[in-house]
Amino acid sequence: MSGPVILFGLDGATYKVLDDLVARGVMPYLGRFVASGVREPLMSTVPPLTPPAWTTLVTGRSPGYHGITNFLQYESDDSRYLRVVTSREMCCETIWSIVSRQGRRAGSLNFVAHNPPPKINGYVIPGWVPWRWVKKYSHPADLIDKLKREIPGFDAKELAMDLKVEQRAVAGEAIEDNESWIDLHIHREQQWFNILRYQMKHDPCALVGVVFDGVDKLQHLLWGYLDPDLEPERPSEDFLRIRARCWEYFRRLDRFLEETVKLAGPDAYVFIVSDHGFAESREILYINTWLEQQGYLTWAPGAKVAPDDSQGLGVPQAYHFNALDLTKTRAYAHSAGSNGICIPVRGKRGEEGIAPEEYESLREGLVAALRMRCVDPDTHEPLIGRVWTREEAFFGPKMDLAPDLTVALRDNGFFSVLRGGQVLKKRPVVVGTHHPEGVFIAHGPGLCMGVTLQPAQLVDVVPTILCALGLPIPEDLEGSMVTEAFTPEYLKEHSPVYGPATVRPPHLPPDEWRDRAYEQEGETEVLMRLRALGYIE
Amino acid sequence: MKELDRLALRNDLLTILTELREDWEYSDEITEQTGIFGDLGFESIDAVALGSAIEEHFDQSLPFAEFLTKAGERQAKDITVRDLLDFLMVSLNRSKERRS
Repeated sequence: MSGPVILFGLDGATYKVLDDLVARGVMPYLGRFVASGVREPLMSTVPPLTPPAWTTLVTGRSPGYHGITNFLQYESDDSRYLRVVTSREMCCETIWSIVSRQGRRAGSLNFVAHNPPPKINGYVIPGWVPWRWVKKYSHPADLIDKLKREIPGFDAKELAMDLKVEQRAVAGEAIEDNESWIDLHIHREQQWFNILRYQMKHDPCALVGVVFDGVDKLQHLLWGYLDPDLEPERPSEDFLRIRARCWEYFRRLDRFLEETVKLAGPDAYVFIVSDHGFAESREILYINTWLEQQGYLTWAPGAKVAPDDSQGLGVPQAYHFNALDLTKTRAYAHSAGSNGICIPVRGKRGEEGIAPEEYESLREGLVAALRMRCVDPDTHEPLIGRVWTREEAFFGPKMDLAPDLTVALRDNGFFSVLRGGQVLKKRPVVVGTHHPEGVFIAHGPGLCMGVTLQPAQLVDVVPTILCALGLPIPEDLEGSMVTEAFTPEYLKEHSPVYGPATVRPPHLPPDEWRDRAYEQEGETEVLMRLRALGYIE
Repeated sequence: MKELDRLALRNDLLTILTELREDWEYSDEITEQTGIFGDLGFESIDAVALGSAIEEHFDQSLPFAEFLTKAGERQAKDITVRDLLDFLMVSLNRSKERRS
């Protein structure tokens, strides 16, 4: 039996920042960790967004299969209403379940779309859950009460997210006080690390995963303080003070990493991974305004224009129903984070939209327009770096839930779904945005030392973890073990073993999405369930 | 086919909410008149989490996003437990009819 394995997640971590922090002595332990392990870029999903990317990383399946395409997605195949993704939308087995099913314990801390928690042999505290729900959505049911008793200073409110604040920040809106923003994440990470440390000491597992998401949150708003290329020649006192506070956040992460590796022991494998990387963004593309100018979109009467000084990209909830005239709209974007464009088709999600037979030609024309006519009004350079159709970006049984088109902007940013006064606006301050290239740094027995490898994919992480644990790799995973990370001697004795396919999460009926499956299974099972609950005789 | 038993559904919903009351730092009795925003102090994301909890209990998908969005569109001041109960009655009956 091999392992244990620690999956040390740094949401949005990028080598550009980490290498600089190592070079400046802010993260000395990380420097030693990298020198004695392997590193490689880890390529994210399309788009490089937290829910699809982390879900791909922990399932070894792509979004078209696991069904998590965005923070918000359609409630069902025929609904036009958007819901926040949860574990009930996840259609593939997670690494925690794969490990737990084979008799080993697993622990999962702060992963998105893990509520309600999977009932694994181990423990789960999901991320992106408001404080009122942390206890309800943790597994086992008495876990939070135990942690409250055992961990001094445990505070579910510090642990959980204030989504109203975080949505604004992720969309690039200014937070009044940068240092408070940093401190909020310092305190939150300390809470997560306290839990990790306690659980590693008192409930050892074969696999433990944790995500520290402050990396992403700091980089979004404070990229100008973290990107070494943006360091001013003569930094102001304010700059130095805020940067020092950012560095304090990373200094603490470095200590968490060191303590985690020590706690895990010399036989452990530690994988530092990120769901995506980061880069700078200097402009805002108002995609719906561009679609309006091109004749694809009509605003509802009275739809407000975003103020000139707005830096936000738009909170997407219910936005398109109020702001758009869907009877005259042929393409629109409803969600800032997904960089996705939807084409309403009559009869699919309501009676508005184009006729089904018009779909292919309209989409083809829109792709061409995005490539050729969505340009910088000053330089006439294309604003869109790439366009993917749904079939290209989300191929799989769940692709109907994804946008019809997904775009990558020239500066990697997220477009705004608000009604802009213009198509393109320069940001007054550089912010951070997601980039497809994240990090994979591994350290453990049989791994190469001080080697940089070719990029791996998020889907490669699960097979690599399973191999390190000495467990069979399910045959239906899409990726493959990162064999180059291991020494030839190790691979001679530990060649990967392949086994039966993953199993469906228990909340899903076999073979199909919930509603369709219920139709197939007929009334019997549904009625039995309702009878068992006492709602019918 | 018989209608769902509203009383059993009501009791179950109140049990779910009352069990969670302590976590929410809410000590008053929860009744059909209790407002999830005004009384329980929910934010919109809490309402979404409540939807997941209810779905988990019934082990089926419910159009909770549609329910919340429509409440927002008609500028409802609050959503009461009774509103939730009405929504559940309609949704579960519809779901049952679809499969019968």
